[in-house]
Amino acid sequence: MRIRVDGAKCQGNARCWALAPDMFELNDEGYMEEAVIDVPDGDQEKASRAVRACPERALTLIDD
Amino acid sequence: MTATAVQDSIPAHVPPELVGSFNFYTSEQMVPTPMGDPQAATSVLHSGPPVFYAPNNTRNGEGTWVVVRAEDQRKVLQDGVTFSSNRRLFASALGEDWPLIPLEIDPPDHAKWRSLLNPLLSPKRVVAMEPIVRERAVEIIEEIRRSGNSCNAMDDFCLPYAVSVFLQFLGIGTENLRTFVDWAMDQLHGAPDKRTAAARRFIAWLDELQAERRKRPSDDFMSFVTQAEVDGRRMTEHEVRAMSVLLLVAGLDTVAAAVGFDLYYLARHPEQQTLLRTEPDRLVLAAEELLRAYPTVTPTRKATVDVELAGAPIKAGDLVACPAMTANRDPAEFADPDSIILDREDNRHVAFAYGVHRCLGSHLARREIVIGLEEWLARVGPFRIKEGTTPITHGGFVFGVKDLILAWD
Ligand code: HEM
Ligand code: SF4
Repeated sequence: MRIRVDGAKCQGNARCWALAPDMFELNDEGYMEEAVIDVPDGDQEKASRAVRACPERALTLIDD
Repeated sequence: MTATAVQDSIPAHVPPELVGSFNFYTSEQMVPTPMGDPQAATSVLHSGPPVFYAPNNTRNGEGTWVVVRAEDQRKVLQDGVTFSSNRRLFASALGEDWPLIPLEIDPPDHAKWRSLLNPLLSPKRVVAMEPIVRERAVEIIEEIRRSGNSCNAMDDFCLPYAVSVFLQFLGIGTENLRTFVDWAMDQLHGAPDKRTAAARRFIAWLDELQAERRKRPSDDFMSFVTQAEVDGRRMTEHEVRAMSVLLLVAGLDTVAAAVGFDLYYLARHPEQQTLLRTEPDRLVLAAEELLRAYPTVTPTRKATVDVELAGAPIKAGDLVACPAMTANRDPAEFADPDSIILDREDNRHVAFAYGVHRCLGSHLARREIVIGLEEWLARVGPFRIKEGTTPITHGGFVFGVKDLILAWD
């Protein structure tokens, strides 16, 4: 499982980071940059909650 | 306004069937109401058209479109080109014409101002500010406890707390706390002439602080912005003013009102109060749910082109209001939206808006709310609305609650 971050949509709400600070690395302004994040085994549930937490819909789950 | 005057003020392009009878200023529950619940009162709008026209829906009595649903609000607030926030509201109240920075600046210019400010209020920076925030909360609560077993929650706790955290952020002491609280009350809730006078006092005071920090910089907000560069040059005095005055109007009343509504809710729900007092770890999630249920702000934009939104024929120049209250009670977004479920998950509320103008202070505000409630619950003990008193709620520009007299044993 991976998460695609749409950097252009992110507005720094940091809701993803609040749920999973290890998975989502904010830059100095507090925003997520364009990225594809690998979800470690066992963190799938946390990852999908973080995706559902983003008010801007900047995160998408990729189920591989 | 009389019925004919209202009728006259409706632009010709607005179809009569989209003219609503509800507005956020003078409708039932929006006017000052004893023991009211103004946010809940907006829920009925979900049974009407998704976008309707409300005559008389600003402080100055202008009509606006009202976007009811969360998804449509997201379209508006994420598109700063079609829906501009360059309204120059604060300046026009003073008979002047300049934008608050960054709130009244549109993309793409908005980004450079926002990037400058973001690091100052980023989630990580806020973590570093927490000890001070807590110290302020404890100081104010302990003073209240020393003076008896009841208090006016807004005047004695919520406002002084929000103001003193803010003064700390600006980088000045809290000696003038009371004066500042009075100004803030006048600026935000006074009659129009009082508001203007208070706004001028704020500006004069900020100008003085700015001049002082330009001469002798220290490591606070004002020193930072007077030294900071945009487009390879220092900011002008005017730009610094437009930025600092916005922080004042955006960061005081909103925090105070949020904590106020939370205490109002908890005073009426003793079992939830006990739960949060005995299990304070629940507060982070509970504060989000209370922000969902009791948001206070209605981001408003001006259309730059003719555009259709969910069936509404919006014309360039029309005002488009996106009340967080209705988005936060949208059944398409939240299961059982009118119930307050303190451990609600997947809570994508819009109390801090969406899009590029998403509240710059949201990370600080969230911590102020959680820390304020945590210390209040831990120190004050079970509290209630004082017998024989009646809190008054209101809608409008920033929703609020006053005359909230709390008592405890
Ligand atoms: C619970 C408390 C708060 C609430 C509910 C709140 C709500 C909002 C909302 C809804 C917006 C968007 C307005 C729009 O798009 O038209 C906003 C913007 C803003 N807020 Fe807050 N706010 C709060 C606290 C704060 C604090 C504590 C600060 C400062 C320390 C602050 C500073 C700002 C600024 C500077 C903007 C403009 C951002 C921009 O235009 O890019 N707010 N706030
Ligand atoms: S929750 Fe969404 S908007 Fe917020 S930081 Fe994460 S990706 Fe960005």
